[in-house]
Amino acid sequence: MTLGPAIEVRRLTKDFRVGLKGLKLRAVDDLSLSIPRGQVFGLLGPNGCGKSTTLKVVLGLVPATAGEVTILGQPSATAAARARTGFLPEAPYFHKFLSGRELVRYCAHLSGVPAERVEAAVDEAVALVDMTAAAGRLVGTYSKGMLQRIGLAQAIVHDPELVILDEPTAGVDPVGAAAIGRIIEAMRARGKTVVLCSHLLGQVEQVCDRVAIMDKGRLVLEGAVDEVLERRDRHVLTVDDLTPAALAAAETALVAHGARLGSVTHPRRSLEELFRELVTGSRDA
Amino acid sequence: MKAAFSRALWIARITFLEAIRQRFFAFLFVLGAALVLASGAVRVFDFGHSELKFIADFGFGGLFLFGSILGVVMTAQLFFAEIENRTALTLLAKPLSRGEFLAGKFLGAWAVLGVFVAVLALLLAAMLGWRAAELTQLAAERRLSPPELDFAGLGLYALLQWLRLGVVVAMVLAVAAAARTFLFAVVVGALAVLAGQLQWLSQELLLKPAEAGLAHAGLWLLTHLLPNLQQFNLGDALVLAPHQVADGTLPWVFASGLAYVGAFLALATFLFRRREI
Repeated sequence: MTLGPAIEVRRLTKDFRVGLKGLKLRAVDDLSLSIPRGQVFGLLGPNGCGKSTTLKVVLGLVPATAGEVTILGQPSATAAARARTGFLPEAPYFHKFLSGRELVRYCAHLSGVPAERVEAAVDEAVALVDMTAAAGRLVGTYSKGMLQRIGLAQAIVHDPELVILDEPTAGVDPVGAAAIGRIIEAMRARGKTVVLCSHLLGQVEQVCDRVAIMDKGRLVLEGAVDEVLERRDRHVLTVDDLTPAALAAAETALVAHGARLGSVTHPRRSLEELFRELVTGSRDA
Repeated sequence: MKAAFSRALWIARITFLEAIRQRFFAFLFVLGAALVLASGAVRVFDFGHSELKFIADFGFGGLFLFGSILGVVMTAQLFFAEIENRTALTLLAKPLSRGEFLAGKFLGAWAVLGVFVAVLALLLAAMLGWRAAELTQLAAERRLSPPELDFAGLGLYALLQWLRLGVVVAMVLAVAAAARTFLFAVVVGALAVLAGQLQWLSQELLLKPAEAGLAHAGLWLLTHLLPNLQQFNLGDALVLAPHQVADGTLPWVFASGLAYVGAFLALATFLFRRREI
């Protein structure tokens, strides 16, 4: 028996009423989307394009105006559907008077972790996000990066099949963002489905298997990352020790075969790669 | 069912911890305690009434006034803090129903009010006991009958007040579940408490022969939908004049209080079920 998609969105529309006159604002417009299991799926788009609203509808936090959404085969508005789902909201805020460990324990109890398993589950989740050393500190003393990581821990403490992360790297420095990227990859390695909303396109490209791009509430593109990014009409050759003579000969040979040399440049590393290379071992703690 | 209860208790536990950290709670708590303790100092101004009644009235007044303010403002604040700080977003994305969330909020706020009522009732018992001992001695010297005071009745009265505040909390939660702002929830919640407290007025007006009209219908609704909060005020009869409460009154008051709590929580859940978080 084949398992269905992790999330199935069929013809979803969401309207908000705004102002005293109750003017209709369409946040999501006839969206259909299927997110396969066991993959990291990037949901992208500019601010206000309807990503967060879509996620809220998926989690039953906002009712849909029209359309259907299922999570792991169950209607998304049911509590049972959310039992196998973890969620990290955008710019998460947690009770400041709890320690990180208390917060994760609280969420473990709410997520239905059996009482005898709670402590082990909390330890595991806190360790996975590399927060063991700081778990005893009050949440109110955490940096943004630490808040995101403890937020991730509360989202995965019940070992969900599906994890939804809304801007998990917002306000986090590149080292922290890279750490979150590694956690996402670790979740994929454990067979989890991860839905990632992010503006860090470099990271999305790195960790996602598939992406969907939304604009003005509509889906404008969806597919595997490699498929959507690849330009099949162009090619890149990486050559070591290229001399001017070799370049001229190569260009002549290409023209002889009906091809044309577009440009010759030096490959660049990304600023993020350079930053991570230079700032090694520096982390929030 | 057990899992749902456990989740509601966890919400209640965190709500309780959040509430007792609030300065507002500490402020009203100290103010209420100070009022009860002050009754011992100002008892000379009893205007001819029984000293014990004077002290008891101070305590009952403190419990009623500060308990009601705390019940309305704290409940609305605890509810809107979850919505406005967006902690509700994290919580309600878990396998937690909105009814469980509201039940947890109710239990947490009610537990705080339980502490408030218990401490003020203990202080009041101490003040009454201290003065009653002195008055009993004076009465013995003058061969007069000692003053009547029933501590068990005071305990029962405290329980009734706690239940009354439970009705207030449930009522405010129902208002907050539909309200867009904290201020609206506080104002409407306070008006509902006031209307419940003055319900005897609407009941009297209803008894008067009048033409059927909107005002009459409004009065009828007010009388039948809002709880009569005055019925919980059995302090004098329970504490100072024991055995004066009619048979069946207490079970009726307890049963109707619990029924109103259940009804308002059900209404709150209904209003909250499709709210956008």
